[in-house]
Amino acid sequence: MAIYEKSAAELSAMLDKKEISSAELTKEIFSRINAVEDKVCAYVTLDEENALAQAAEIDRRRAAGEKLSPIAGLPIGIKDNISTKGLRTTCSSRMLENYVPPFDASVMTKLRGAGAVITGKLNMDEFAMGSSTETSYFKKTRNPFDTERIPGGSSGGSAAAVAACEAVMALGSDTGGSIRQPASYCGTVGLKPTYGAVSRYGLVAFASSLDQIGPIARTVEDAAMLLSVICGHDKMDATSAYREYPDFAAQLNGNVSGLKIGIPDEYFGEGIDDEVRDAVMNAAAELEKNGAVLKRISLPSTDYALSSYYIISSAEASSNLARFDGVKYGYRAEEYDGLVDMYEKTRSQGFGAEVKRRIMLGTFVLSSGFFDAYYKKAKLLQRRISAEFTEAFKDVDVIAAPTVPSTAFKIGENMDDPLKMYATDICTVTVNIAGLPAISVPCARKSSQLPIGLQLIGGRFAEQTLLNTAYAYEKIIGGYCLPEL
Amino acid sequence: MDIDIRHIAKLARLEIADSELAQFEQQMKNIVGMVENMPDISDELKPDPNTPMRLREDKAQANKFTREELMKNAPSVKAGCLVVPKTVE
Amino acid sequence: MVKGYEVVIGLETHAELSTDSKIYCSCPNRFGLEVNSQVCPVCMGMPGTLPTLNEKVVDYAIKMGHALNCTINPVCKQDRKNYFYPDLPKAYQISQADVPLCENGYVDILVDGQTRRIGITRIHIEEDAGKLLHSDKFNGASLVDLNRCGVPLIEIVSEPDLKSSAEAKIYLETLKSILKYLDICDCKMQEGSIRCDVNVSVHKPGEPLGTRTEMKNVNSFSAAVRGIDYEINRQIELLEAGGTVTQETRRWDDVKGVSTSMRSKEDAQDYRYFPEPDLLTIVVEPERIAALKEQIPELPNAKLMRYVKEYGITLKEATFVSESVELAALFDECTQKGSGAPKSYISWIVGDLVKYLNDTGKSIADTAITADKLIELVKVIDDKTISNAGGKKVFAVLLEEDKPIKDIISQLGLSQVSDAAVLEKIADEVLAANEKSVTDYKNGKTNALGYLVGQCMKASKGKANPGMMRDIITKKLS
Repeated sequence: MAIYEKSAAELSAMLDKKEISSAELTKEIFSRINAVEDKVCAYVTLDEENALAQAAEIDRRRAAGEKLSPIAGLPIGIKDNISTKGLRTTCSSRMLENYVPPFDASVMTKLRGAGAVITGKLNMDEFAMGSSTETSYFKKTRNPFDTERIPGGSSGGSAAAVAACEAVMALGSDTGGSIRQPASYCGTVGLKPTYGAVSRYGLVAFASSLDQIGPIARTVEDAAMLLSVICGHDKMDATSAYREYPDFAAQLNGNVSGLKIGIPDEYFGEGIDDEVRDAVMNAAAELEKNGAVLKRISLPSTDYALSSYYIISSAEASSNLARFDGVKYGYRAEEYDGLVDMYEKTRSQGFGAEVKRRIMLGTFVLSSGFFDAYYKKAKLLQRRISAEFTEAFKDVDVIAAPTVPSTAFKIGENMDDPLKMYATDICTVTVNIAGLPAISVPCARKSSQLPIGLQLIGGRFAEQTLLNTAYAYEKIIGGYCLPEL
Repeated sequence: MDIDIRHIAKLARLEIADSELAQFEQQMKNIVGMVENMPDISDELKPDPNTPMRLREDKAQANKFTREELMKNAPSVKAGCLVVPKTVE
Repeated sequence: MVKGYEVVIGLETHAELSTDSKIYCSCPNRFGLEVNSQVCPVCMGMPGTLPTLNEKVVDYAIKMGHALNCTINPVCKQDRKNYFYPDLPKAYQISQADVPLCENGYVDILVDGQTRRIGITRIHIEEDAGKLLHSDKFNGASLVDLNRCGVPLIEIVSEPDLKSSAEAKIYLETLKSILKYLDICDCKMQEGSIRCDVNVSVHKPGEPLGTRTEMKNVNSFSAAVRGIDYEINRQIELLEAGGTVTQETRRWDDVKGVSTSMRSKEDAQDYRYFPEPDLLTIVVEPERIAALKEQIPELPNAKLMRYVKEYGITLKEATFVSESVELAALFDECTQKGSGAPKSYISWIVGDLVKYLNDTGKSIADTAITADKLIELVKVIDDKTISNAGGKKVFAVLLEEDKPIKDIISQLGLSQVSDAAVLEKIADEVLAANEKSVTDYKNGKTNALGYLVGQCMKASKGKANPGMMRDIITKKLS
């Protein structure tokens, strides 16, 4: 097995035993990037020079006998909507093409504190709006398992880079499935934490009440390791929860005996491809064989989740993205006549079509005369959806569902049909609406097949249960496998 | 549902070219059509007392950022200020 | 009533709160520093930044709510008010929409000796915007200074209960003195720490309310008076000429003394308010609300009414003293501890003390004047130990140095002579030396008496008790 292919846990142990240095590992990852990046197109910005300097610093500290975090010296990629001090943060938008934040996101402070080596910034759908990474202003990222296909989105660069071993792990962000969906398409593990578990400070906001940063990795254990580093209370984020979190990786035991797994009817009905339904049902059956108890449940308001999600997320986005007006940072139109024209030209030229659609939808649902019929209703539905989950978790520990209704589609296939694109989020948005944690873990598959993800949903702050269940399943079926590139 | 695309675009400070208008209108109609399936819920949207916020202590901190650092991304700066087209006649 | 019309005025008053840090970030809340020097990524609205609410802002707003007899909402939230303008970096202002922190209150103001109760619709918290700088030298550009972004504000919305510009001014002054009393606002008008928007309409008595206009950019109380009067006259002239008033937002230009239309109702901004998702619910414990109520002192408008009604003090003096926390504290302590007439205390305070403070720019604490000293001074004057003129000399010393009053009296030799024998002796000498005046008096020129008493006072070097002196002279001449 090549070095770049190894899991974070394996590499962490090798670094610890000084079988490899972080500098060597970082060089190895960059040579892998050089080899496959042309085919995958995962990165917007590479930062090799600083990465090597960070690696050398970690090697020096390790040699000096310092006690280091398990992720110290591991090359990690960052989604390009997470602010990195001194390293441009574009959100894959023309609007922020040359924007260099003067501060680090709180998760970056944590990563740097733990000694992570930052490889660069990963491609995404523009401002995280999209399900295929095709709305990026810069490039179309490709699915490492079939480069004719999309990697999913919006954290498509993160999932593709991890799947193609262009980073040991990556950070993504998830507003309606943007970690889990590309993780599923790219055969990797992606975890969306409970709302409030990970600080959003420095994450360029798409929909503030739904956004969460989370890990994408090749194994469940790796995701657990990275999650332990990034979660925790942050006084800079008023929505951040006051809680202590366990060392998630250390608590993994793979024991699902007696675990009650809910199978919600609504997630297996119309619109779900047979191969996906079968794969997820087989996964549930495997867990049952290992002692878990399956239980059919119902989450009746699931049908309305997509509406609720698109209204709330677009409303918040229309407001969050209003600050991009050509005054303080970012793109400003070259020619304009007066202030209003400067605003309109700047925003029309700086934003792509999908971002404009969402801003328009969000502006509409908040506008005078429509607020009650759309925004208010969507928020009330959100409470109902949340309540149904709370009710369900009285009976079950975990809910199993597909992550996405089908496997990765072809690049360009859905670009002209927003509704078809939005429908791919049907299985993931409920989790954001309810503020719950969920993980996508690769299902068993034949090597000719495209990856399929098993989504496990937990109650608030049940990350450990999710990780443990996913870990058990991964042990049964094998998990990640290297794509041919 | 008729949506006044021009009005919404004006509120959002977006310019929709005449050539884009028809497609935009259709897409917006489709999207709004999709979200219109929501059932009526007769309830009030009151602040949720179960999600109380901890407030910040009133303590001023010396600025950690220089003006230059904060302004270096600005498209136009003059005399330490951001520059915009004139706002009053 | 103006020219046969009734006037209806409502005010939206913004007051900047004097907290140490800004409302949503830890930047210092200071005025008048170098442009863009009190700014951080949060108040500059950089991508990815988030607000955190300053607890003092909530406390101060609740205090004002108590002071204005409001209901305090223990559970409330913040909302975004969306609009584009270069002084608003996020392109939304974090404010409060449907659930304000305080609502349904009132404030009593004193108009022409009568108490008028003005309804307070609501008080909410929000952030201030930055400032735009204009100059012909900027080549068709405006400059943006973001220092003021995130300065905490409370907006106090009155019911349309005010009937004239004079009432509006009294209302504003009452709010200002309350804010000062609570020590939650600097109330520096030239720095814009209190500003207001004015809603005005007029109608004939007995007829329904007229169409109202809103006027912005009113930056001082005197500008409010001018702006309101201008608007009243403008509306009446319109109506008298057979026209109608249009609902619109107007901008007051205090230099030119005119208002101009900013936007009509049709162009009314659609602010697209929605709950601020970056902040959770503001939940204030009932104990905290009660504790803040405990901290509310007797307020200046209540004091004013007490001074006028209980002590018979003139409205002018009572207003002056009640509006100053320090002067009122001094006066109240004097009236509580001392047995002198309240009018005596207040005349020292509004007279010699205020003149000195104004001349020197000092505060009471810089002088040796305390309630105990003032009580003693009034007492020694009342019991005729010293004269009123002597009292002024003692007071002048106390303004500069802290000495016991009796020491000052003896050092300056101010003790009045009230010994009848001594006074009789002086009277005899003066009468002997002024035979002409004595004759004049006896011939009916009564004003000669004043002259003779004056001569006695002079002979005593001012120490003679003037009342006793007059009695003795009168007796001797009769």
